[in-house]
Amino acid sequence: MGKSVLRIVDVWKSYGELEVLKGVSFELMEQEVKVIFGPSGSGKSTLLRCINMLDPPDQGEVYLSEQNLMEPGINLNIMRANIGMVFQHFNLFAHLRAINNVSIGLRRVKGVSKEEARSKALKALNQVKMAEWADHYPAQLSGGQQQRIGIARALVMEPDVILFDEPTSALDPELIGEVLQIMLELAKTGTTMIVVTHEMGFARAVASEMLFLGNGVIVERGTPQHFFVSPKSDRVKTFLKQLDILYGSHKGLLKLSKEEEDK
Amino acid sequence: MNSIPKPPNLAEIGFYIFVKGLPRTLILTVLGLLGGFVIGLSLAIMRVYGGKELNWLASGYEKLFRGIPILVLIFLFAIYLTNLYEICIGDTCFGIEPQYRPLFGVFLALALRSGAYQSQIFRGALLSVNPGQEEAARALGMSRFQALRTILLPQALRLAVPSWSNEYAVVIKDSSFALTVGIVEMTNAALQISSNFVELWAVSIGVVAIIYFLLTYPITRLFGERQTKKLKELGMGGG
Amino acid sequence: MMFQALPQEIQDLLTVLEYWDEILEGFIMMIWLYVWALVIGFFLGLFLAILRQYGGAIISRIATGYIEIVRGTPLLAQILLLYFLPYSLNIPIERWAFYTNFRISDREMTFILLNPEILVGILALSLNSAAYQAEYLRGAITSVGTEQLVAAQSLGMSRRAGIVHIVLPQALRRVIPAWSNEAAYLPKYTIVVWYIGVPELFGKAHYLVFKEFIPEATFIIIAIIFLVLISTVSKVLDVIHKRTAIPGL
Repeated sequence: MGKSVLRIVDVWKSYGELEVLKGVSFELMEQEVKVIFGPSGSGKSTLLRCINMLDPPDQGEVYLSEQNLMEPGINLNIMRANIGMVFQHFNLFAHLRAINNVSIGLRRVKGVSKEEARSKALKALNQVKMAEWADHYPAQLSGGQQQRIGIARALVMEPDVILFDEPTSALDPELIGEVLQIMLELAKTGTTMIVVTHEMGFARAVASEMLFLGNGVIVERGTPQHFFVSPKSDRVKTFLKQLDILYGSHKGLLKLSKEEEDK
Repeated sequence: MNSIPKPPNLAEIGFYIFVKGLPRTLILTVLGLLGGFVIGLSLAIMRVYGGKELNWLASGYEKLFRGIPILVLIFLFAIYLTNLYEICIGDTCFGIEPQYRPLFGVFLALALRSGAYQSQIFRGALLSVNPGQEEAARALGMSRFQALRTILLPQALRLAVPSWSNEYAVVIKDSSFALTVGIVEMTNAALQISSNFVELWAVSIGVVAIIYFLLTYPITRLFGERQTKKLKELGMGGG
Repeated sequence: MMFQALPQEIQDLLTVLEYWDEILEGFIMMIWLYVWALVIGFFLGLFLAILRQYGGAIISRIATGYIEIVRGTPLLAQILLLYFLPYSLNIPIERWAFYTNFRISDREMTFILLNPEILVGILALSLNSAAYQAEYLRGAITSVGTEQLVAAQSLGMSRRAGIVHIVLPQALRRVIPAWSNEAAYLPKYTIVVWYIGVPELFGKAHYLVFKEFIPEATFIIIAIIFLVLISTVSKVLDVIHKRTAIPGL
């Protein structure tokens, strides 16, 4: 299948008394797309931030292309340039135009020249179909447009892997599609991705493996077929059912389902 | 022979400042704030609910008394305009005793200035009360005035507390300028106690600075940011 | 300005205005002190705000301590303290001065650039203004939020690079309204140097009153000078704020 991009070994993370991650392990190979899903508070976002060491784990190891990120003395900034991240709330730089949002990483972190950075940024913007908005400020763009720029910003750094932290959760329903479309294309062209989401349609289409994270542990893992045909644990079954009601064919019951989901 | 005076120690300095200077500092501060409160609240209501002319007048007042340095105001009202503090009809005169005129003048200066700043504070507070509150009050049948008095003002006053505690700090610090016209408030007292001892001048000022700090910091800390957070939690403001 | 303009009042004003060279000297001194205090106060304030926001627990507390102490004590006490300090430490102060003479129409004017008192004055005003500017800047930095800094780090920028290139540019734009307030009203506070013998506008006013015995007209002119200066600075900063507006900031 190719070489190992990420290896997470027995990662634990607590905030004070609260244990958020309790021994999570998995491996991500080149061109794989892993989808992590589960109830809120299960530690999914925390896991992503452990991976790019923005919030290092208390215990365990994180290997990026077999390089141990927990090693003391390692230059995490350079390592982070090889891990892309797309945020739930986009986190675009409000004072920069779209093109500069995308190019600033190249210029400041990788030392690329202004002209080259600009042309690479334009290419990335093209890839997410936002090239004509290059000169706009984030505040002038819709959520879906902003998120696509966020994706371009991560893409342009040519990272080994891109982490997506609930990329569509903060979007209005009609804007979700355009972002998922881009993500689908990225997956199909072989980008290595970890996506935290509950967009099951996306997972069904491109996920190589799905991990159900509950209470800080991987409760179940398997291919999309496994989950959607015969999931093993009851927790997973209940969760998928709730999601299905919310996103699936029961459109008329949407209001009721939302209440059930919120319970 | 005790012809050489003994330099005061820290405790004596502090005591003197406290006993001799604090009363007048407090009087000036309290009266100045109260005067400013009356002026400020009236102006704020004028600006928010008055017509265009009242708004313009109030706004002009604000600009005037925010733009003139407090020292200039103090000199004007405590020294040069003191003749105004007496009204004479024929042979009978009544007004303020000459000995109290500087004190009154400083009070006036502080009050007029504080009024300009408090006007802004209350105007901001009135405007940031949730607009839905007035709507609801009117829907119940209250007149504009009733709504103002029973619903809006109480909330506005609570919202104004953080900024107002800051204004308190400003006025008590400005009261130090009263020493220019001979009033023995704290800073003047600090200079008095060590007037014969050059080496102690800085020390006395240091002591009085500490006292000022103890009078301002606890209050601004208590009523400042924490209040803002509490108010947001209670759902007030943000209108 | 509320009274009827009788000839006597106009005469008074004109008498005072005869001394325009003195007034000008005082005005220049005020501007001189004002600009120095504002600029030094800005850089020092920015430094303090960054220390307070991004320094470790100890450094942040020290910065906060400085800010709270300066804001909690009167400016008068601060300048007197600085002025008296050499006396307490038994450091003799020599008399020195840098000044320049210039002539406009038929009047000779002297402007003192620096002497011990002016130095103390600038120091006191700068240290004071820095504390207030630090508060405004800290508010602006906080209002930018932390998410963008996280995003910058996720790209591989160091925390320092993120602060410099992402947080500060936005904070500096957001602080303009509050900063304009400080910048516009700072000239008022320069008056405090009068207590230590710096020949600024207020001192000149006293001199004029001494000479001509027309306190009302004199102080009204002084007041007008302050008002005009403050309004002008306010307006200019307002325009700059509108011109540099970025949508969404």
